[in-house]
Amino acid sequence: MAARSQGPMRRALGRFASNPAALAGLAILLPLLLAVIAYPLWLHFGPNDVDLMARNAPPGAAHWLGTDGVGRDVLARLMQGGRTSLLVAVLSVSLSLAIGFVVGALAAFGDRWADSIAMRCVDLAMTLPPVILLLVLASIIGTGIGPTVWVIALLSWPVLARMVRARLLEVRERDFVIAARGMGAGTLHLLFRHGLPNAIDIMVVYATLQIANAILLEAGLSFLGLGIPPPAASWGNMMNAAQSTVVLEQYVWQWMSPGATLVLTVLAINFIGDGLRDAFDPRSGLN
Amino acid sequence: MRRRTVAKLGLSSLLLSATGLTLPAQAQDLRTITGGFDVGPGGMPGNFNPMTATAGFTWLSLYFEPLITYSAELDKFVGLLAKSFEMSADQTSYTFHLADAKWHDGKPFTADDVRFTFDLARNAASGSNFAARLSGITGVTAPDAHTAVVKLSAPNAGFLDTITKVMMLPAHAMAAIPVADVARNAWWSTAPIGTGPFKFNRYVNGQYVALVANPDYRLGAPKVDRVVNRYFENTAGAVAALRSGEIQFSYVESDDVPNFRADKNFRVIEGNSYVVNYLGFNQEVPLWKDVRVRRAVMHAIDRASIIKTIYGGAALPANCGYVAPAFVPAGLDPYAYDPAAARKLLEDAGWAKINGDKPITLITYYNTPQASNVMAAIQAMLAQVGINVVPRIVDVPTYNATVYAAKPDFNAFPLVYAGLQNGPDPSGINIGLNEKQIPPAGANIMRVRMPTVTSAFDAALAETDAGKRPARYQAVCKAMNEDLPWGTLWVTSRYGVVSNKLKDFTWVPAPAGGPYDAHPERWALAT
Amino acid sequence: MPPQVKYIIKRLLAGVAMLLGLSVLVFLLLRAAPGDPVDAYINPSAAMSPQDLAALRTRFGLDQPLPVQYLAWLRAAITGDLGYSLQGTGDAVLPLVLSHIGPTMLLMGAGITLAVVFGIAGGVLGAVRRNGAVDLLLSVLAFLGISSPAFLTALVGLYLFAVRLRLVPSGAMLTPGAPFALGDLLAHLVLPAVLLSIGHTALIMRYTRASMLEVLNADYVRTARAKGVREFSVVARHALRNALLPVVTLIGSTIGLAIGGAVFIESVFNWPGMGLLMVTAVRARDYPVIMGAALVIGAFVLLLNLLTDLAYAAVDPRIKVG
Repeated sequence: MAARSQGPMRRALGRFASNPAALAGLAILLPLLLAVIAYPLWLHFGPNDVDLMARNAPPGAAHWLGTDGVGRDVLARLMQGGRTSLLVAVLSVSLSLAIGFVVGALAAFGDRWADSIAMRCVDLAMTLPPVILLLVLASIIGTGIGPTVWVIALLSWPVLARMVRARLLEVRERDFVIAARGMGAGTLHLLFRHGLPNAIDIMVVYATLQIANAILLEAGLSFLGLGIPPPAASWGNMMNAAQSTVVLEQYVWQWMSPGATLVLTVLAINFIGDGLRDAFDPRSGLN
Repeated sequence: MRRRTVAKLGLSSLLLSATGLTLPAQAQDLRTITGGFDVGPGGMPGNFNPMTATAGFTWLSLYFEPLITYSAELDKFVGLLAKSFEMSADQTSYTFHLADAKWHDGKPFTADDVRFTFDLARNAASGSNFAARLSGITGVTAPDAHTAVVKLSAPNAGFLDTITKVMMLPAHAMAAIPVADVARNAWWSTAPIGTGPFKFNRYVNGQYVALVANPDYRLGAPKVDRVVNRYFENTAGAVAALRSGEIQFSYVESDDVPNFRADKNFRVIEGNSYVVNYLGFNQEVPLWKDVRVRRAVMHAIDRASIIKTIYGGAALPANCGYVAPAFVPAGLDPYAYDPAAARKLLEDAGWAKINGDKPITLITYYNTPQASNVMAAIQAMLAQVGINVVPRIVDVPTYNATVYAAKPDFNAFPLVYAGLQNGPDPSGINIGLNEKQIPPAGANIMRVRMPTVTSAFDAALAETDAGKRPARYQAVCKAMNEDLPWGTLWVTSRYGVVSNKLKDFTWVPAPAGGPYDAHPERWALAT
Repeated sequence: MPPQVKYIIKRLLAGVAMLLGLSVLVFLLLRAAPGDPVDAYINPSAAMSPQDLAALRTRFGLDQPLPVQYLAWLRAAITGDLGYSLQGTGDAVLPLVLSHIGPTMLLMGAGITLAVVFGIAGGVLGAVRRNGAVDLLLSVLAFLGISSPAFLTALVGLYLFAVRLRLVPSGAMLTPGAPFALGDLLAHLVLPAVLLSIGHTALIMRYTRASMLEVLNADYVRTARAKGVREFSVVARHALRNALLPVVTLIGSTIGLAIGGAVFIESVFNWPGMGLLMVTAVRARDYPVIMGAALVIGAFVLLLNLLTDLAYAAVDPRIKVG
């Protein structure tokens, strides 16, 4: 864990580039991201263009993924929904990573009091039943992107904090950390020099899984009537159309399109996450 | 049927081979009707007290009975516990001739019970939500055991409608319960006694209620042994239970209707919702003062197309608060879809100055997928003429807290998409439109202050001649059509689906679930 | 007094303080949310006058100042009286909540047991056969499991297995009105439990795999390998024990969250558990039920956290409690 130079970074990138699964992940995710970001350029339907005469149309030449219950283009909504869902996911995961790591690491490296207070906070956050948190937060700050980000972040950080703490408690007992502490290293130094590298694998796995989770949670919030309210599009509220048995049975493209895209995205993110973890893990190169 | 049983047995033996268990015999010795009687807007699962019920009367009236009820067509009153009734010439005294009925515990039903019930229902301390509506009662007398006389302080055109929901309660069984404890008492969900064709059997919290036949029912013993009311958290679960044959009846959302229409094992019952849907223009914000703006909104929305496509034709366009022919006069403006006219009206009214393209929140408590489709269509259509509305779908408590607030933030609901009961009694929408009903007096949440509308309602409410009442409500309709206190949209249909195994079954999607003359004692199961 | 007992007593006392904090938090959150029980009671299409509503608020005590309302609740709660539901005919809260814990434990117990068994087995297998065909297949399955929304799998599962194939009942925990039978219960349980386990299995599998890989690279494992210990023994005796540490945390948290009920599965299948209770209570803004349920769930989760921490000490001798 000596000073970081360009060397290890380049080696890590090299390892990443030679990981076929990770590259496959990139090959799925990058075009998808590009398509989502640039969709107004290549798609002439808007996500809220209603056409009552062309409702529930199956996929075809005009509407590649068909239309929904008011004749909106499913592909356009999928793209717009992707913007929403990915934004919500990325923001909420960043937020919960930050909170979770700092609390977990402080608990592990701090003194007994810090540990006690941090862990009781975690306990309190985890004892609060999610439904209540969901409903109340969503209703206080309203529905929409910002509130959904907060709800998801506040729901998910305690798990990470506990896992980071568990990992770092073990690290704390290792010689180099004891040495650093003995030399009077500051909390920040401990956190980012010794805590972060040793918890990075947990955090990467957590982040990749949590991105998916965040998208799913957003979908679930929509199911409960919270989350991103229609007519704005999100993958979650698009899948919600499956509540009607007619849509579930006969208009499968309306919920399968966002469902399949979600699975594909999650798969890609996970492959990339695995690749990143292997690439940045200094020990994996010794295999 | 046999294949299904075999499959079931196959799976269960697979599942249970380890534990050596087998499924219980599915064949029931008892003839049981199971249904989702409290699914949908007419239901109120978990409520057993008819005096605090705002819905759920379909189920409650299986074991409780009112003196009179609506006919199954909801067009007239028919006697139930009262064989017949008369009104005095001055319309302040009603005499009920009681049927020869017995409570479920065998005690006779008498005029004392009628007096007890009305006294309890008009006493706010009992938690009754009829207290305000029955406040005109000055007294109930019992000249003999089979005659009850209710005296009013003034004529009340809505009195008979109100008392269809007042279920008769047993004085002998309830007298021991202090009035203040009536609203919250275990009696309702453990041992209630009524006079209806079924007797209360058991309630399993949040799951189901079971009734058993009352063999001594005065109109004949029921044809089945039990009726079970299963609770469903969402209609998808009820639809699944219907299609898998576990229940024989449920309310369904109109989205699900096509599947059942195509299936010969089911019969679809369609009925008027008696709820008029409207766009409410909040008169406390400066957007809607000009009637030309309100007219523009009407012309901008292609109601015919929305009804044809999203509602599959199952709705009637409303050009005023009513669609019932008796209350709709000739010569109403139909507000045909005409975006060009709408743009012209907006231009004349100076919409660019009033609001321009700033977003206007459109708040609603309708949160079905179908409603969100309607919201999307309305948003798109209004955007075409330059009115930028942003739908906001919230849950019922949030909606009510917003519009009923003691100090409302009017900018939180400049425009609402809502519904109000407009029948069978047409006076229902008065509370939302009459200037005298502006909160805190009533529920005129849009703060409509239109003298023509108010005076038309006042005249209709004061009309004591039943024959002249339709003409009075036609005047209301005319005033609403001209002044547009609301942007009236449509009255939709509601649906129930019945298994073909269920015979002689009567159900109508009545507001609040009725009550109406359902004759549950005739319901039968095909063998 | 042995240090472990002292530690446990200390944690229990801290738990009581935390429950107090929790009740204040939930109380404040509830009052901050728009709409109260009376707002939830009004049917918007059958309007009521604000006077009637004011009378209802008075009857429920909702017109009192907030501190008064909270203290009244607390005073009763200390004596074990959690009040009455504001819905329907007003069931007492404590028995109501307790009656929903059993079904949730049953569903969650079945679902999580399936998830732990298949998740750990799959994770270990994946790590040992890293990047092989089995690992790839398991990974894809895990990702599928992780990326399917619970409400969607519930709806599709309900449709396929209950409506189309009619293999299992469409919902509820027992056939309404029928006498209790274990077979009936299991028939109702199997579909929601399996659907519930999908996401958890996938999650546990991923964490086990990642943790296993981490540990398999650790010095002591490599030392064991170098000393010629057999691969199976390396995995089973040296690696697994340590790899399970973060997984135990995860399972602990899963169980902790589980007591709140599987909201989506319970509401699609009408499983009479805590999730269903909470969703309906929240929709009706039934303050006493929400407060009571939060308290009971909170107590349960705190107890579980304590057990998780004790379990740590048991699997990892380097961590001392106290």
